[in-house]
Parts: sequence; C-alpha cells; structure tokens
Amino acid sequence: MKNNNLPTMKVRIGDIELKNPIMTASGTFGYGEEYSPYVDLNRLGALIVKGLSLEPKEGNPPPRIIETTAGMLNAVGLENVGVKSFIKEKLPFLRQFDVPVIVNVFGETVEEYVKVAGTLSDVEGIAGLEINISCPNVVKGGIEFGANPDLAGEVTRSVKSVTHLPVIVKLTPNVTDITEIAKSVEEAGADAISLINTLKGMSVDIEKRVPHLENITGGLSGPGIKPVALRMVWEVTREVSIPVIGVGGIMNAQDALEFLIVGAKAVQIGTANFVNPRATIDILEGIEQYMRENGISDINDLIGTIIAE
Amino acid sequence: MEHKKSVISGEVVANREVTKNHFLMSLTVPDNFQVALPGQFIMVRMKDMGSPFLARPFSIYSTYSFENNTILEILYRVVGKGTLKFSHLKRDDKLDILGPLGNGFDVPPGCKKIALVAGGIGVAPLSSLAEYYRKRSTDSVEDRKVICYIGARTSEWLVGIEKLEEVCSRVIISTDDGSEGHHGYVTDLFIKDINSYRRDGSMVYSCGPYAMMKRMAGILEDCPIPCQVSIEERMACGVGACLGCAVRVKSQEGHSRYMRVCTDGPVFNIEEIIWD
Repeated sequence: MKNNNLPTMKVRIGDIELKNPIMTASGTFGYGEEYSPYVDLNRLGALIVKGLSLEPKEGNPPPRIIETTAGMLNAVGLENVGVKSFIKEKLPFLRQFDVPVIVNVFGETVEEYVKVAGTLSDVEGIAGLEINISCPNVVKGGIEFGANPDLAGEVTRSVKSVTHLPVIVKLTPNVTDITEIAKSVEEAGADAISLINTLKGMSVDIEKRVPHLENITGGLSGPGIKPVALRMVWEVTREVSIPVIGVGGIMNAQDALEFLIVGAKAVQIGTANFVNPRATIDILEGIEQYMRENGISDINDLIGTIIAE
Repeated sequence: MEHKKSVISGEVVANREVTKNHFLMSLTVPDNFQVALPGQFIMVRMKDMGSPFLARPFSIYSTYSFENNTILEILYRVVGKGTLKFSHLKRDDKLDILGPLGNGFDVPPGCKKIALVAGGIGVAPLSSLAEYYRKRSTDSVEDRKVICYIGARTSEWLVGIEKLEEVCSRVIISTDDGSEGHHGYVTDLFIKDINSYRRDGSMVYSCGPYAMMKRMAGILEDCPIPCQVSIEERMACGVGACLGCAVRVKSQEGHSRYMRVCTDGPVFNIEEIIWD
C-alpha cells in the first residue's frame, strides 16, 4: 500500500470539523498535557478534557479503582480543578495545538451546568462542549439527569440557551430505553450525542467481605462494555438525525470500525489510553490501513454502512 | 516530528523465586532506563489483551549493563492474579513496559547519614537508593553511613538482604514473629538509634506496609529528621490521567487535598501525608 495515498478522514460534528474521527474520552486523557509526552496531540480528531464543575472537586476517597474481567471500575468522583483554574492553568497549554478542544461539563443543578457552560463560551480555544448528564440532580432528590428524558432535555435546552458553541450530550447507559433520552436531547437542541458513559457496577473483596471501592459502586469501562455500547449506538443512530459519537471499550481499530460501520460519526477512546498511551494514534493508523486495504477513500463512505435489515 | 515516548517491549532474562512467594525478575530494556532514579517505577503488562487487563506498577529495584544490554530488575511479591501471572513468566517471554515514571528520592547535598526503614517488599526502592548512593558518592566510605532497618512478618518474607549487605554500612533485621533478628517491629529498631540521626545531615527513607509508614510518621513527629516515603496505591495509567491513585496530603491552613501517587509521587515527604 502506498503511504502517499492517504484516505480522507475528515468528519463533522455539528460545526466542529475534525481531521479524523478519533477523539479522547473525557476523564481518560486528563487535560491533554498528561499524554503529550506520548501522543502528538495535533494528530487527534478532537480532545475532550476531564469533566469540569463550577468549583474544584476533590473526588472520592481511595480505593478509587479496581480491575474487573475485561475492564475496570472507577469511582474517582469527578475530581477536577474547576472551570476557572482550567481556563487559567490548563487551557493555555492546549492552545498551542491544532486540535479542537471540547470541554466536558457537569453540575448538580441545572444552574450549575448553565454557569459552567456560560463561563466557557467566551473563552478562546474551545471548540465545543460535552454535557455529562450522568450526575445526580441534588434539587430533584438525587435522580440522575440522564435517567429522565425531561431532565435531560431541560439541561440541554438551558445549556444551549447560554452558548453559541456546539453542544454534545453524553448519555448514560443506566436507563431502560436510551432512545427516549436521545430523542429528548435532540429535540432540546443538542448538536450531537455521545454514548455511552460507564455502566454502574460493583466488586467485592471476599477475604474482608467489603466492596473493593470505598464508594461501594463505580463505573465500569473497558473492552467488556463494548458490545453494550455498540448496541446502544446502533439503536440511537436509527432514532435521531444528529451525529452520534461512539464510546465504550474501544481498544483497537477493529473496535472503532464497528462503531463507524454501525453509524457513529466519530469515536472516543477511553480506558485504552490507560493501557496504551498511544492507543489513539494506533487506532487512527489502523483505520487508515483498513480503508486502504478496502479501497475506501473517504471515511464518510464507511460510516453507517452496516447491512442489517 | 518530535520524539514521543511509548510502551516498550522488555524481554525476561530471569524470573526466580527468591523466597516463598517473592520473585526477582530481570528484563532487558532500552538504554534510557539506565538514567532511572531510585524511587521511580514502571508499569508492566502482559502482551496479550486478556487478563490481567491493566498494567501493574513496580518500583525499579536495580538497573545495570550486562553484555551490551541494559537490565532492569523488579522485586515483587505475589499478591493477586496479576503478580501470579508474572511469576509464571520464563526466559525470553516479553512484557509491555512503560517508564521510568514518577519522581525519585531526593538525597540532599551534604547528607552524611542515611537510614532506610523497610517493611517486606518495600525494600525494593530503598535498596535501589542505597545502591545508587554507593555508586555515585564521591565521599570516602568512612564519611557516610547508610543503615538499613528491615522488617517482615516472618523470616520467609525477608527479601533482598544479601544486596543490602553489599550496599549498606549496616543491615539490622526484625521479624514480627521473632523467626529472625529482633522480635517485633522494624520501627522499634529505628527508635533505638534515633538519637544518632540529626535534623541536618541525616535523611530517613521508608517504604513498606501502610501501618508501618504511619508509625514512622508518628515517631518522626516528635523528632523531626527529614524523611521521604514511597507510597503504593492502585493505579490504571501511571501517567496522571486516571486519578485512581489518590493520596490525601496536607494543604494550606489546615486543609487537605488529594495528590496522585503516580506523577506527584510516588515519593513524598512523610509529613505531607495525612495518615488515617
């Protein structure tokens, strides 16, 4: 195969143009600088940073992680530097690179989401927002925003009203019918949807008879959740017309290709970064190789081409 | 394009059980590992994508040149399915290695007397420090002293003694069950000698079980000789991104916060840590 015959990898997510469909999943790539010794950040389609709240959040007490079969559970507790420190201390580093920076945002109230989104909107160097709706709403008695179509729609609408930036809504898989939530956020004005966040899980130390995690439960990620993520992406792409970004257990190019063929416009690489800091680049190169081998010159000719009717 | 670091492939040269459930593994690694500082660590993972899924952190026990290769050694105890799989590896097997990672120990200039307080497998980074100090020091042997206090649950769990005897001025042993050396805690041995260390010109380094390092923190509170500890915590990435390896440390005005063992440590000043 000739290297000078590179396929076209460009995709669009709302108004964001990506060089290629490879993004980093929030919470698995720090603020970018952690992986810059390993990855040329300019080669990424987009970089999604660790979720930000209005004020810094210290996170949960350890132990915060435990390995599971084909994955891991984490209960980091959304530890982050807060939106102001991010803008002052983390964003200047990212501005050096030619990569769209998408900021993941979360809150415990609709007002908090709105404040964080509003604060980020007028800042140079941010290409879009990803709204994490897997947080419990403290006002509505701890029910997760993402588990209720009305609440999910309300957050989306409120955030959209304070920002001109493209808004991606990241869905939780811990629901009965994910298409209901997806349709609700689309109706509320979401520019794209990313799915899935982690699956809620648990692990027990049988010697001590205590949970492995101090927080008792945690979010399951890694290759074990990929079939679930793929199924949900498949279901959602058939119900909405906005772009869907596939995330969940993607470890290699084959995994990423499955999501693209099912209909995802882009993919996010998460836990794989922990195992191989160069996972994003290896996956990108693997997709390019697949395209050359299969005579596909434009990635958009591959997306959503699954034959399943 | 600027050079980027990546996971490298290490080849097993030897992997032998040195005492019950404790193994010494020697691996060939690229030459840049020779500059690893004592206290730094590596993330090690089986080549296949199966189980264990995540890499495991290990202190670097030793690095040296041998027949044009750079050899890196790790000393480890079998504690779970990851280390159990590692213990079955044979010569020529390959592993994925990321490193060297984290910050090493500081040895301030003018430091003439060093105490190493080791518990069990916690000896690994301390032995590496003693070896490094011995190789690099320009002082005469009489001028500097490295005393190692090493304890373990029982004599079968004492590892790395031979090497310590080569690189330290003195090695003093304790076991919890009295099967070798002093019958009791290694911290008892250190307390006996504590007056021979001074605030200036002495350093204490410690690594071992949490309870042991916590006792060290209590002992040194009343007698402030500078002490650095190497902390162990579960981690997924080793590069500061997963935030799995949180350790609670003091911050300004009586507040506390979490730091990352992997990139903020694994070496910390003992008084920084909040031992609960």
